[in-house]
Amino acid sequence: MATKQAHAEAARAERSEELLSPSELFHARSRSHKIPVRGQKEFLPTGSEQQKTHLQKSLQEHWTLVAEERVERLGNLVNAEWIPEEKLVKLQSPAGKFWQTMGFSHCGKQCLLPEEALYLMECGNVQVFYQDLPLSIQEGYERFLSPETVTLHQYQVFGHLKRLGYVVNRFDPRQNKQLKRKRSHSPGSRSCEKQTSIPQEDTAVGPCEDVLTGEPHQTIQSKKEQDEPMDSGSHVDRAPERNWWTAASSQSRSMTGLPAALPWDFRLISFPDLGSSRAARTCLAAPDPELLPGALQVGECKMASWLTKLNLKEEKLSRRERERQRERDRYKRSVNDDREVRRCTNWAEYLELMKKRRRQRCKERPAHLWEKDVTPLSQPGLCTSHRELLEEVSIIQSSHLLEEASKLPQLDQWRIIFNVYQPDTVADFKKSHPGNPYTRMCVCSFDGPVPDLRVMKQLSFQSADIPVTFAVVDHGDISFYCFKEFKLPSDFY
Amino acid sequence: MDCERPAEDHGTRQNGGAGEGGEAAGAESEGDRERSREPRVNISLVGGTPLLWRAGDIRRVREEDGVVGALVGSLARQPRQNVRLGRPLEILQEEASLLLERGRAAVQHTHNQEDEESHVKAVEAYQSRLEHSYEEQCVLALEDKKAVLQRVMNAKQNDHTCDEGTEQAMRERLSSLQKGFTLPRSAMAVQLCTARAGFGHCPEEAAFLAADWPMPRDERSETRFRVYRDLRGRGFYLTAAGKFGGDYLVYPGDPLRFHAHFIALCLSMVEQLPLCDVLAVARLGSNVKKTVLLCSPRDSGVEGEVVYSSLQWSGMV
Repeated sequence: MATKQAHAEAARAERSEELLSPSELFHARSRSHKIPVRGQKEFLPTGSEQQKTHLQKSLQEHWTLVAEERVERLGNLVNAEWIPEEKLVKLQSPAGKFWQTMGFSHCGKQCLLPEEALYLMECGNVQVFYQDLPLSIQEGYERFLSPETVTLHQYQVFGHLKRLGYVVNRFDPRQNKQLKRKRSHSPGSRSCEKQTSIPQEDTAVGPCEDVLTGEPHQTIQSKKEQDEPMDSGSHVDRAPERNWWTAASSQSRSMTGLPAALPWDFRLISFPDLGSSRAARTCLAAPDPELLPGALQVGECKMASWLTKLNLKEEKLSRRERERQRERDRYKRSVNDDREVRRCTNWAEYLELMKKRRRQRCKERPAHLWEKDVTPLSQPGLCTSHRELLEEVSIIQSSHLLEEASKLPQLDQWRIIFNVYQPDTVADFKKSHPGNPYTRMCVCSFDGPVPDLRVMKQLSFQSADIPVTFAVVDHGDISFYCFKEFKLPSDFY
Repeated sequence: MDCERPAEDHGTRQNGGAGEGGEAAGAESEGDRERSREPRVNISLVGGTPLLWRAGDIRRVREEDGVVGALVGSLARQPRQNVRLGRPLEILQEEASLLLERGRAAVQHTHNQEDEESHVKAVEAYQSRLEHSYEEQCVLALEDKKAVLQRVMNAKQNDHTCDEGTEQAMRERLSSLQKGFTLPRSAMAVQLCTARAGFGHCPEEAAFLAADWPMPRDERSETRFRVYRDLRGRGFYLTAAGKFGGDYLVYPGDPLRFHAHFIALCLSMVEQLPLCDVLAVARLGSNVKKTVLLCSPRDSGVEGEVVYSSLQWSGMV
């Protein structure tokens, strides 16, 4: 029992040790605000008197700084209350300058997140009460920091960045997904958004025969085109609708809301015939209004009138030009002279023809290379550029960081916790429109695992365009690392 | 290894009587009973990390146990800079384990339950303390202002520049000050406590449970702890060395004044270290001009010795 009492007394004595008397409080205003500079360190302890006095002096300075307590004018302090049920701190008096970059309004009251409140407590700007008693910094650390709010390591990173002047706020993964949808402008994704409207328009427009494939097309054509007066000659060939891009992409509707890759179906891209005798009767279809800016409307284009305006004047060449022309004619053939080329009706067929010709050129293949089980990946002459050749011989396809990142499941141990904005934007910073952050922070420690590719893919995907920085906390020291994507060049000039 | 025992060791020697290694035993000896009467250092746990909050505790553990730690909070004098930080002091898991083992520290429990009555009393105590402080500060402020005025008067008298009129005016000001001066409440100075204050949310009797260390020790932390204890016992100061790719930075004297000599890596005797890791750490050590120490505790017994090997980069000349 005696020891228990002694304990209690000692504890009480210890507790009141750190409370300042009123006179100490009053005279704190004349305390120095300077921090003594630390001198150079020495290499070997020699036990000399000089070293001992230096050490004592350094230590004494150190203890003075460490033991100093925070004393503030009551008028400069903003009062607040800790609400553990909501894990928030509600302000009871109006906020000061810090309101420009920290805090938020909730149900009419000004609130602070726990890490913001704790930082402001450490700066001596805010006094937080709980059940009518002021919280000490220690109690702030113990009550505000938890895995549900912000851990100690994360708070250390927060404090470090705030002290350097950055604006730091919490990252909300839900915000980003909205931004993505607003950003996409490509026609493919717009048709994805218009998914619900397509079936309605289909019923209004009759099917239009595709000359090439003979299949009925889904058209997203406005009614206006149908109402256009037809040419007197009903034999006008209607060029097939130019909507190979929309048809293809609407077939590959993806559910993620990301702009889908546009697979162009080359079978559907046809060449309008404008040069032959039948050209006068051709009629170019109107472009898809989706591709036109604003309310611009372009109707069909009848070629007859245009063709009459071509080739009206005879070209008079100078003698030198005529000579050059002769040279060209002797050695160069027009591509269209080739009967096989004329037989091609679209790009795909043309490319096939070229490929076939190239292969025929390299018909002689050495037996020791081509007759065995393992054959070369490519032949000389088959490829026309370095990039093609590298693609032919590549075994591992190169990828990019965000490929298939959306399909990865959510992570539990790794999460982006903060958005960090540059210090020089503080003057114009608006909490309602913060703009894009400079970087996003993910906090880890040297004891934990190194982030692997999967983690990096997921975090980069969550972060959209903003680079992710990893803050590694080791016993008070913080190091920052970030990974940058790099593509090996594949074409050489 | 040639090293000198710093004077700090005498503190524990006086109390213990036994050698450094024998203190771990929980035997009831004269030293133990004496030590148990000493006020123990409070370790506060936040998310598994041990922190020290009281300036007195931080000083004691450095002077008597050679525990250096790292300050991780804002400095009270200048909170908006990162060059010099303030309380709390974050200590290594091994340092906390050693302090608990020696009975020098105890983990502070945060009791949230508190009966209505003692809470009401605590609030009353706080309010009365605040009032008392305000009254005292009013008096002090008045004294301060009178002293300033007096000094001005004396200065004027010494200069012989004033006449009856101004002297009278000054005396009038002095008396009006005496009667009418009040310190506005907003000008009162208030303390924002760093460590848990006397009137607080924890009950009168804090629970000191020395054996209640929440961290389970796996093989790796056991190895680290043994190496720490051995190096500390030899008088070296140790801090964390994550930035240097090792486990500890070993200083021959107080880190405030001396550079570190070694980077210690803790490995178990049977652990296999790939050669490229050895090369990497040796290269790092030579770049920062510190010797790399590979430390392994010998398995023989609980108090087994630790084997050290140092890496030196050399060439065939």
